[in-house]
Amino acid sequence: MKESLMDVLCCPMDKSELELEVDERADDEEVLAGTLVCSECGERYPIEDGIPNLLPPDMRDDVPA
Amino acid sequence: MSNDTDTVAGDRDPEETRKLVRERYGTIASDGQNCCGDVGIDTADDEGCCDGTADATGSERLGYDADDVASVAEGADLGLGCGNPKAFAEMTPGETVLDLGSGAGFDCFLAAAEVGPDGNVIGVDMTPEMVSKARENVAKNDADNVEFRLGEISHLPVADATIDVVISNCVVNLAPEKRRVFDDAYRVLKPGGRVAISDVVQTAPFPDDVKMDPDSLTGCVAGASTVDALEAALDSAGFEAIEIAPKDESTESISDWDADRDLDDYLVSATIEARKPAHAN
Repeated sequence: MKESLMDVLCCPMDKSELELEVDERADDEEVLAGTLVCSECGERYPIEDGIPNLLPPDMRDDVPA
Repeated sequence: MSNDTDTVAGDRDPEETRKLVRERYGTIASDGQNCCGDVGIDTADDEGCCDGTADATGSERLGYDADDVASVAEGADLGLGCGNPKAFAEMTPGETVLDLGSGAGFDCFLAAAEVGPDGNVIGVDMTPEMVSKARENVAKNDADNVEFRLGEISHLPVADATIDVVISNCVVNLAPEKRRVFDDAYRVLKPGGRVAISDVVQTAPFPDDVKMDPDSLTGCVAGASTVDALEAALDSAGFEAIEIAPKDESTESISDWDADRDLDDYLVSATIEARKPAHAN
């Protein structure tokens, strides 16, 4: 996931801004693992293998980790 | 956001519909299995939404030209579309494009070439296996300006007024709540932004066996709306310049989707275009 595209992301539920917590980077721009945290509702969306999982929480739960 | 629930095929609830669709397309991404194999599709034919192993001929019949097919590395074109949004989306360099239900990424990579290095393409899909496949294809296509996210198209994880063009290829019919899809597309578009969608539309009432058949839903048949219903949903979302044009020539490939039923009696592929007013907030 490109950090520069954070501006285009939002929480799928309340459309508020997300804050990025980085665990692993490929380079200055590409985030491989981390979490996106909604600034309003506090929901935490994982980034795994460079893919942000921004499914609504009730759909995310049936996805194998 | 409105809470209205559109009438869906077989009156299945939205959760159930999404579950069926995710399971089906997860399997297609993983094994390349034919998505309509269980509804009696002649798997020897290779056209349309139902193949899962696109070849150039099949994709060209859907509206892609040979250059389109040749320009994207193998593996992104699963042959699951029913048109070519690139052909009428009029994308220009520097634009930001959002693809609803991006699958393995074929339309995103075509869009990436249109918008160039100063533009961006974002693909959203709710099937983890598809998004993983799409991300692998980013490297194969050296497409720095394409990103994929796991997300659901009636709950887009995309900020307000950030998108120039929303494209989609044979996906909105699979969504149980089409009103919400268009409401959310409207929200993410910049004022003056547009939608350019290829999808199937219903031209006559479905027989009961089609309506109730889960494979008919996931095979892009039973979830299709009428032109009138789509126009009403786009209008209610706030769009203007709504144009839905059924394509007569598509019936040839749609009729190949199902060997047991004559789908072109009640289904045709169409282009769906609309614009968010330039003065919209």
